Amino acid sequence: MLSEREGAAALAGGQSLINVLKHRVASLELLVDISRLEELRQIDRLPDGTLEIGACVTYDELDRSDSVRSAQPLLAHVAGHIEDQQIRCRGTIGGNCCLSDPTNNLPPLLVALDATMMIQSPGGPREVPAREFFHGYFSTAVEEGELLRSIRVPPLGPNAGVGYSTVAVGADSKAIARAAAFVRVDGAIEDARVVLACVAPAPLRHTAMEKALRGAQASPEAARAAAERIGEDLEPLGDAHGSSEYRREMARVVARRAVCEAMVEGGDRRG
Amino acid sequence: MVDAGTVQAIEVTINGTKHEATVPSRQLLVHFIRDSLGLKGTHIGCDTGSCGACTVIVDGKLTKSCMLLAAQADRAEIETIEGVAHDGELTPVQQAFHEEHGLQCGYCTPGLVMAATFLLGRNPNPTEEEIRRAVRGNICRCTGYVNIVRSIERAAAAVPKEAA
Repeated sequence: MLSEREGAAALAGGQSLINVLKHRVASLELLVDISRLEELRQIDRLPDGTLEIGACVTYDELDRSDSVRSAQPLLAHVAGHIEDQQIRCRGTIGGNCCLSDPTNNLPPLLVALDATMMIQSPGGPREVPAREFFHGYFSTAVEEGELLRSIRVPPLGPNAGVGYSTVAVGADSKAIARAAAFVRVDGAIEDARVVLACVAPAPLRHTAMEKALRGAQASPEAARAAAERIGEDLEPLGDAHGSSEYRREMARVVARRAVCEAMVEGGDRRG
Repeated sequence: MVDAGTVQAIEVTINGTKHEATVPSRQLLVHFIRDSLGLKGTHIGCDTGSCGACTVIVDGKLTKSCMLLAAQADRAEIETIEGVAHDGELTPVQQAFHEEHGLQCGYCTPGLVMAATFLLGRNPNPTEEEIRRAVRGNICRCTGYVNIVRSIERAAAAVPKEAA
């Protein structure tokens, strides 16, 4: 139906799209309510430990799911701190990703977790890595007529941890700068993914900071030094909540904090 | 599935009573509840999902009814503020808002009572932080929230707990 009709769109939780329609930012010919399709509401644990999360799983369900809490506790925690209870009861992981608002909570974390986005096309399913999924402001790899079906989140693996840090307008509110990090430590830092959000049109892997981390000893000093690589390459848009310069400075702060948290978490997992 | 601008037939159960209706596809649930069913206890504060005055419970989910189309509520069970108390007796949450003066103008109160009722249904012994987080989606411009938090603490203490 989505592929056959012009001006059709999928409606999941509606916590963004309904307002978009009210403000007449978009006008649609056909809304297809996908929120009650059971196959999009499942959380499955695949044999290799990967979590497969249906696109219409709500933030509240992520927060309260035993399998998410045990396999990806940070994902459950982040989902449980999105805005307010009413939004968490309705808003979905798929909607959070497909809207691709740069201030959204889940996209940078899913990129840091190296998730895979499972898209249904009229011609069949296709897979897109999270790092290639977010194209920019309100734009993703999902083309017209396609639907995000589920998101696969692989296990962290040994000696690895993830971290997440936000500077926001208020508690659980709109973010000014945000970072998610994945770090694997074996003696020194073996691998790192640092993803910045709110400072670019889409979640941004900061490869210079990642390169500075690899091979370094896992320490707050190493994180601080690596975060200094975030510099003039970043040109965030300024707004009433923070100037461009402020956001760039805060990007360094949240990146450092997220990496430190990931190192501590990875350390805890090593016991 | 029909074209925009037309109507949809829905069947909803509100406070235990089944209603069948034909609604405009564009109609929000809050307008259906207030204007079609005449249940005016559910308030409209902002109409943008910011204030929580229109909060109801839809199929067990705490929901701002201005952020859901009436058509999306087809086959749903909905509880509004009018369905909270039975036989004219206040619930512990309502009684506690009364005793702790958890309201001034009262405009936000129906939404807050729904949010507090939802919280205590899940978590009978919330901490102050959990209470504050639970009502984060409900804006009150009068009280400064202090008495609202006290009210919910009192309601939690008043609700009989299952034997430990």
